[in-house]
Amino acid sequence: MRRMVLLACLLPLAACAGRQSPLAPAALQAEWLHWLLMLMFWVCGIVYALVIALLGASIWRGRHRLAAKPEIEPDDRRLSRGLGVWAGMIVVGLTVLILGSFVVERQLADMRAHEALVVRVTGQQWWWRVQYRDPAGGGWIETANELHLPAGRTARIELGSVDVIHSFWVPNVAGKMDVIPGRANAIDVTPHRLGWFRGQCAEFCGAQHAHMAFDVKVDTPAEFTRWLAAQARPAAPPTGAALVVANGACASCHTLRGTAARGRAGPDLTHVGGRRSVAAGTLPMSRGALQGWIAQPQALKPGTLMPAVALSGAQADAVAAYLESLK
Amino acid sequence: MRRVLYVMPAALLLFLAACEKEARVIAADQPQTPPRGAQDPRAAAYENNAYQVSQGGRYFTWYGCGRCHAVGGAGDLTTAGARSDLAHIYATVAHGHTSGSRIPSEQIWQIAAYIRSLPHIDAARAHRQDRDLRGEPQGATWSGALR
Repeated sequence: MRRMVLLACLLPLAACAGRQSPLAPAALQAEWLHWLLMLMFWVCGIVYALVIALLGASIWRGRHRLAAKPEIEPDDRRLSRGLGVWAGMIVVGLTVLILGSFVVERQLADMRAHEALVVRVTGQQWWWRVQYRDPAGGGWIETANELHLPAGRTARIELGSVDVIHSFWVPNVAGKMDVIPGRANAIDVTPHRLGWFRGQCAEFCGAQHAHMAFDVKVDTPAEFTRWLAAQARPAAPPTGAALVVANGACASCHTLRGTAARGRAGPDLTHVGGRRSVAAGTLPMSRGALQGWIAQPQALKPGTLMPAVALSGAQADAVAAYLESLK
Repeated sequence: MRRVLYVMPAALLLFLAACEKEARVIAADQPQTPPRGAQDPRAAAYENNAYQVSQGGRYFTWYGCGRCHAVGGAGDLTTAGARSDLAHIYATVAHGHTSGSRIPSEQIWQIAAYIRSLPHIDAARAHRQDRDLRGEPQGATWSGALR
C-alpha cells in the first residue's frame, strides 16, 4: 500500500518531461524562463527550509520551558543580531530575484533585433489560424492549428483575435502571451530543439476552451523551407461526390486554394490531410476522424461553430477521403 | 433587515429566470430542415432565444451580408424584419442570394431570427452589437483580425 502511494506521488513528475511542459525547454526564451523558474525555486526553497529549521530549533530548545512563565530579556544581544542577519538575507534574496527577472526580461526583449520570420496567429472560437508570408509573392499562406518553426531562427509571432480574449501558450518554446481582440500583441520565439510540441489556449474563452490546442513542429531550416513550399501549392481539385467541398456548404466557410471554395470564416483546408489533428487537437488525424467530424461535429466538440451539414453517405465518404488525401 | 433576507433569494431566482433566454443545446444534433410555412413551431424557439439571435448576427457578418445590408445603411433590413415572418426571410436568404444556397440550414434559421430581431433593438444595443462583430471575419475578402 505504501509503495502504491509513493508511486502515485511520483506520477505527476512524469508530466515534466512531456511535449507540453516548461521544464523541458526547446527554445532560447523557454531556457531563460526555465532558468528564472529554477532561481525562484532555489531562493524560495532555501528561505522556506531555513524558516522551518529555525522554527523547529526554537520549539526544541524551549520544550522544557513551555509550562513555565515566559522569560523576557529586553536586551538579548544575540536575538537582535540574529534578526538583523535575517532581514539582510531577505533583502539579498529579493534583490537576487529582482535582478534575475530584470536580466531575463532584457534578454527576451533584445531578441526583437534578431527577428527573421513573421508568423501571424489568430485565435478564434475554438481554433488557431496560422499565416506565413508566401516566399514567392507578397500574399499570406494560411493553415490552421499547426505551427511550423525553423530551428535557430527567431520568429515573430503576431497575435490577433476575432472574438474574445485567448492566450497563446507553448510552454516548451516560450511563455504565455494574451491574444486580445483589436490589440497587436507579439511574441518572439527562437527554437533550437527539433521535435513536436503542444500549444494550448491559456485563457478561458468559452465552451470548448479545452479543445483549442495546436501542434508545434520545430524543423531544420531546410525542412521548414520544403514544408512552406508544399503549403504554398494549391490543393488537387475534388472530383465526383467530393465536389460538394468546392461548391456546397463547406465552401461558405472554408478555403481550398485552387478550387472554388473561398470561405474565410473557418480553417483553411488546402493541406488538411497533412496535419496531425482534427478540430484543434480534438482528434488525431485520420480519415475516420474527418468523417466523424463532418457527420456530427456537435457530438465530438459540443458548442463548436462547425454545423452539421446534410450530406449523403456517398458524399460524406468521398469528402473524407478527399480531405485526407490533401497532404 | 430580516425582510432583506427574505427578498434576496427571490430576487436571485428572478435573475435565473432571465437565463432561459440564453438556453442552448450542447449535444449532438442533426442537420436542420427549412421552415414549413409561416406557422412552423420552430420559429419561436429561434426568435425568442438570445443565443440563436446572436449567432445569427455572427453568421450575418461572416458571410459578408453587412456589406450591402449594414444597419443604418441603404440596405438596412430593419423594416424587412418587422414586415416578414421568419419563413419568408429564410426563403429570401436561401434562394434570393447566389451564396445563400451554400449556407447550412441551421445557420439560415439563426440569420433569419437575427433579422427578425432588428426592429426590436435600440440604437445603443445596435451600436454595441456592431462593435462586437467588427473584428469577426467579414465575407470572402476579409484580410485578417483587427490589430
